[in-house]
Amino acid sequence: MTIHRPSDELIDRLAADYALGTMSGGARRRFERALREDARVAQAVMRWQQRLLPLDARLPPAPAGAALWARIERQAFGGATVAAADAAPAQARRWWQRWFAPLPAGALAMGLLLGSLAPALYRQLQADAFETQLPESYVGVLATADGRPGLIVSSLRRGRVVDLKRLAPVAATAAQVPYLWTLDAQGRAQAVGPLPDFDGRGLASLKLAQPAEALFQRAVELAVSLEAAGATPAQPSGAFVYRGLCGKLWPPAPAAAGSR
Amino acid sequence: MATAASDLDDAALQTLLARIALQDRAALRALYDASAGRLLAIVQRMLDDRAAAEDVIQDTFVTVWQRAPQFPQLRTSPLAWLTTIARHRAIDLLRRRRPETPLAWTDADGQEHRHDVADPGATPPEQIEQQQDDGRLAACVGRLADEPRQAVLLAYYEGLTHEQLAQRLRRPLGTVKAWVRRSLQQLKTCLEGAEAVG
Repeated sequence: MTIHRPSDELIDRLAADYALGTMSGGARRRFERALREDARVAQAVMRWQQRLLPLDARLPPAPAGAALWARIERQAFGGATVAAADAAPAQARRWWQRWFAPLPAGALAMGLLLGSLAPALYRQLQADAFETQLPESYVGVLATADGRPGLIVSSLRRGRVVDLKRLAPVAATAAQVPYLWTLDAQGRAQAVGPLPDFDGRGLASLKLAQPAEALFQRAVELAVSLEAAGATPAQPSGAFVYRGLCGKLWPPAPAAAGSR
Repeated sequence: MATAASDLDDAALQTLLARIALQDRAALRALYDASAGRLLAIVQRMLDDRAAAEDVIQDTFVTVWQRAPQFPQLRTSPLAWLTTIARHRAIDLLRRRRPETPLAWTDADGQEHRHDVADPGATPPEQIEQQQDDGRLAACVGRLADEPRQAVLLAYYEGLTHEQLAQRLRRPLGTVKAWVRRSLQQLKTCLEGAEAVG
């Protein structure tokens, strides 16, 4: 549909069809071009959208969980993740050397680096005969909901203890406990367990019933929600208060390494 | 016209969309927390399929993330804009998967069947009255003639095109188009009158 000097009446009629949903897919997509280019069209559409909005107003909301958000996040931010990875190698050594130093400014960015660059960093460090090497470990740097560094989670690959360092506390009621989850590539959450109390330095240890490898092998992200104390939830009951990529700090499998 | 139907804060949603237009990830998350449940309910009602509805909501939020900078005018009515995006995605899905059936038909054994809007226990205007805050739209919809009203509601709730409406209602395409067009015009006039009185 090409609209040449459309009348207000025509615009209103098309806007009504658009908001109601009776336009065919092709016509709708062509109309959306006009919508972007003509403020009159946008105004007419907005008015019709508002007129019809009450048709849905009292429908009770359906719970939209963390797994769905994880899928959205992966699809929406995927490109940016790649961009961050592309920009990172030049700073890798400096970042690594700062690992135990004062915390980095962006925990989320750091989490992205960990998740996407850990194998490459490890190879580079090996090539440079870097003396200090962590044993094979899972490491996550989780951000708060507003993007600040929130929680460091680490465990030996085959260990049974998760070490935690809290960087930013989150508000929780007395009846709530922070609960650790893994998220796999499909965004499915799997419970790890409630976090223990942190000491005065913000440190805590969580004992695992099975080796970390069994819990974290398929994890691409780690996240923490607030759950009712004493509960053993199958799924997060609310939004995550901490979240970040799950880094795997060990060299690639021998076959892959040999092919380099 | 205020979005009286919404208990979500339009001003707060506008701020979030403005931040999303600047590619603020935390803002997209906040928008999700504020609106995803409601959008999911709308789409789930249309599709009657939770998994498909979640796919639609995923696509909706990714679209918002990618296209928020392109529609500054529509961001002034955020919930209406989000609802339209989600409904259009759901409509596309419905149209791909649904063979059209008439509203009422008789099978080979002479058995009569009827396909109607979601809640058979309530007439469409009653459903709307239950679902909206201020009753103005319900009152205006209630003034429409039966068949045109049914056409409008089927279009909105089930995403039928004019052609599909004509098949479903077993009426000529031109008649159905005229019903929908005149009904929408009547709704507009009625709502504007209600606003003027209010």
